[in-house]
Amino acid sequence: MEHLLEHFVLKPIVPIEVGGLDLSINIAVISMWVSSFLMLLLVWTASRRVALVPQGRLTNLVEVIVDFVNTSIVEENMGQHGRQWFPFLFSLFMFIWGANLIGLVPGFFTATSSIFVTATLAFIIVFPTVHVYGIRKHGFFKYMGSFVPKGVPVFIAPFLFVIEMIGALAKPFSLTVRLFANMFAGHMVLLTFLMMILEFKSLIIAPMPLLGAVLVTALEILFTSIQAYIFTTLSAMYIADAMHGGH
Amino acid sequence: MTALSAGIIMAFAAAATGIAIGWLAAKSVEGTARQPEAGGMIRTTMIIAIAFIEAIALYALVTAILIWTKI
Repeated sequence: MEHLLEHFVLKPIVPIEVGGLDLSINIAVISMWVSSFLMLLLVWTASRRVALVPQGRLTNLVEVIVDFVNTSIVEENMGQHGRQWFPFLFSLFMFIWGANLIGLVPGFFTATSSIFVTATLAFIIVFPTVHVYGIRKHGFFKYMGSFVPKGVPVFIAPFLFVIEMIGALAKPFSLTVRLFANMFAGHMVLLTFLMMILEFKSLIIAPMPLLGAVLVTALEILFTSIQAYIFTTLSAMYIADAMHGGH
Repeated sequence: MTALSAGIIMAFAAAATGIAIGWLAAKSVEGTARQPEAGGMIRTTMIIAIAFIEAIALYALVTAILIWTKI
């Protein structure tokens, strides 16, 4: 069973070490570069032919994605004030979706199946954005005061504040674990099916795990899209919470 | 022994998740049957709720993996 976990060990291709930190280029970095470049290429190519009525299949595809993100994620959660947040959330959605999907291509690694990438996305991109925006919009003390719901007795307020603080830390943690575990578990199931072909070593039994692997790949495409959507929707909900001042 | 505990953790989490998501899907379909115009909103809310419930099962999976690899 050690073989399965070996697929998730990243071997450096170009070793770079900066002050004790391991910043070497491995397959995860290359996969993130390739997926981000492909998403950029897709959106940029479609934007060359912007017209009132979209012409051509590529422009239509990107229009569908942009309209989906705009309607379901931005306007659903933030109303009309959310127009300024659309570029950030669209970039987040396309990055996570691209990084998830490229893992299904043989040879590339799903960057989001490493907890460091998802922790960076949740704790360094989403968490400071939410709270710095809230502090800048409402002022520091008013934003801290929004953690306590209105109309509670004064002597319970400190406990509620501490509980809300823990909740505010739990939200990016749950974003991290949700995305990481979904991607990790999906690839473990796929690898288990493929290992079964090697384990049985018989040509008669081999088509069954192969069929299972094909079906699990199809399921993975659905799940990666859903997970990208969930991550972006929850980020939009937290930003909307900071926008409306909490409770 | 660690393999047994990891298996039991995941079995309980999977059972609870199965029951919860099954009940949630049943209530969603029932709500859509009562008012088909709200079908899109109910479907979106159902998918978000399924992601939340599945995240709890995946916390158990991460715990099981931590126990299995003895970190």
